[in-house]
Amino acid sequence: MPDSGTAVGYGTLAMLVIVMAVSVWLGTQAQKAVERGGFMKGYFLGNRGLGAWALALTATVQSGGSFMGFPSYVYTYGWVVALWIASYMVVPITGFAVLGKRFAQLSRRTGAITIPDLFDARYGDERVGLLTSIFIMSFMTFLMIAQFKAGALVMQMAWPGNESLAVAQQPIVDGVDEQEAQAEAIRQREAHETRRRRAYLVGLAVFSATVVGYTLIGGFLASVWTDLFQSVLMVIGVMILFAAVVPLASQGGLEQPTLNAIEVTGPQYAFGPGLPKEGLPPFLLLGGAISFFFVWPIAGMGSPASMVRVMACKDNQTMRRSIVLLSVYNVFIYIPLIIICICGRALLPNVAVGDEIIPRLAVWSTRDWSGGSLVSGLILAAPFGAVMATVSTYLVVIASGVVRDIYQRMLRPQAGDLEIKRVTYVVMILFGLIGVVSNIQPVNFLQTLIVFSATATASTFVAPALMLAFWRRATAAGTTVAMLAGAGTILTLFIIGSVASGTAFQAYMLFGMEPIVWGLTVSGLAGVVVSLCTTPPPDELVSQLFDAPVQPAPSPG
Amino acid sequence: MTRPSEDAVVKAARREASLAFGMWAIALLYTVTYCYLNGYGRSAEDLTFVLWFPDWVFWGIIVPWLTCVVMSVVFAFGIMGDESLGEEADADPESPTLASPEVHDA
Repeated sequence: MPDSGTAVGYGTLAMLVIVMAVSVWLGTQAQKAVERGGFMKGYFLGNRGLGAWALALTATVQSGGSFMGFPSYVYTYGWVVALWIASYMVVPITGFAVLGKRFAQLSRRTGAITIPDLFDARYGDERVGLLTSIFIMSFMTFLMIAQFKAGALVMQMAWPGNESLAVAQQPIVDGVDEQEAQAEAIRQREAHETRRRRAYLVGLAVFSATVVGYTLIGGFLASVWTDLFQSVLMVIGVMILFAAVVPLASQGGLEQPTLNAIEVTGPQYAFGPGLPKEGLPPFLLLGGAISFFFVWPIAGMGSPASMVRVMACKDNQTMRRSIVLLSVYNVFIYIPLIIICICGRALLPNVAVGDEIIPRLAVWSTRDWSGGSLVSGLILAAPFGAVMATVSTYLVVIASGVVRDIYQRMLRPQAGDLEIKRVTYVVMILFGLIGVVSNIQPVNFLQTLIVFSATATASTFVAPALMLAFWRRATAAGTTVAMLAGAGTILTLFIIGSVASGTAFQAYMLFGMEPIVWGLTVSGLAGVVVSLCTTPPPDELVSQLFDAPVQPAPSPG
Repeated sequence: MTRPSEDAVVKAARREASLAFGMWAIALLYTVTYCYLNGYGRSAEDLTFVLWFPDWVFWGIIVPWLTCVVMSVVFAFGIMGDESLGEEADADPESPTLASPEVHDA
């Protein structure tokens, strides 16, 4: 059986440093672009100039979860995870074609820069905007905190000498009696853990300083440009890893990786509901399979980060091209990743921490290559880039919420550009620190935390966003209740699930369905019923946002 | 007084959103049904493969996924309209569009 442990070289770290340097450079270039226009619209919306590539590849569809949590699930549970992620086939369509055009139009018509701006303008009620802002900041902060851990883990793995990826299952001890051997084993394990811990903390500090730094310098555009750069890195990383890993595992035929994986795990690795894990419920029953067709497409559509990106897109043609680009891109990311991780189970069957499968495969499969350390660094740069891009995006959204929707709108409407700029920097540093402090003791269950936050966000915003965009009769009260009902449903189901199971962040699966299905249903129903029971919005306001602009009558003569 | 006609972007966006939800629903129905009927509760003895994929993954996920890529191209270049998104309004927080008494009290 191959040993999964292989020490990383300095080339791996060098590649990550290069990625960080390029990101900071892009941040400085973004700053120059922002300075050409007004601070607020330039810094938080990139002057509405996003092109097709930037929009398609940066709508934050890939996150730390794409390269850490998702591969970990494939490695652990088998082929059924392909069904778990399958709804990504419609994500480009639902992500851009449902709300994209209307949000882009409405944000222009109202001058909205943030999502709360848009809700405020749509209903002429600041309270709706404030509630939107509070929800966005709460859920985005959760999502961001989860990403800091992923960034620090990649840095930890890339750190030369910490042997993070080199540990064998049992310490090697020769020529001593059993008692001494046990004591030596404990000492080795403790020393190893100390090195890992040190590397994790250094990684956390370097990662945080870099991502907060470049986002602070260039704002929304820095986030978008680095996101684009990192998205390209991701696809290159996946392709290299595919070329390095899959031929090794497929030497006896293309079906060989699955057959080998079945041999070391069990036949259920190839089927639903997935390989059973002791003490855990089956991975994906029918209700779960249906639910995940809500989780990814609908959660993507309802993510405030995605909504802001469509508000910033240049024109309609950009959105159309983005649908096609993202469709092709997803095929080249997710399907190869599934195959890679199945091959990973065949090649390295005993990786204890599933989150490490991609980095381990990167280091292991390139160990004999000339310059393999650099290549593995390039592959590792993919998850690192995904995580940086996601944190950067969330930082911009959170900061815009605090600065635009609370500070400027509620506290200091007369604040000038310089003051707003300073407050923005303080807010970004503050939330960066929150991310660092929350991860000194790293959060567990990265993917579960991401699913919780994404689910809650979608349940809170999807129905109100659809009402805002398409339903003339929607009212401020209906929208407010829809948000509260969606968020309340998710929180209730997670609290019931956590109490019943005694595990943090455990959802209660009512009738076997994920909470998002119930959150969306309750939110939508509540929004419709309350809107119909309350006073219709003023005709003038609705007409301003739904009807064709009235052309001035030609002057006589 | 007659109401002004609904904006062309609103009409187009409604139609496109309906089609997008339709595609989502068809993908959900086909993929989940096919995979549940063919990929759950089977034994490894009758497992066949297409390329790297178990048969149920290939026909239940890979084929519809590639079909969705083709449909996305058709949707983007054959169905989706190219209406103007309009002019930019004032982004100032105290701008008339966002916070004028006329808007609030109308």
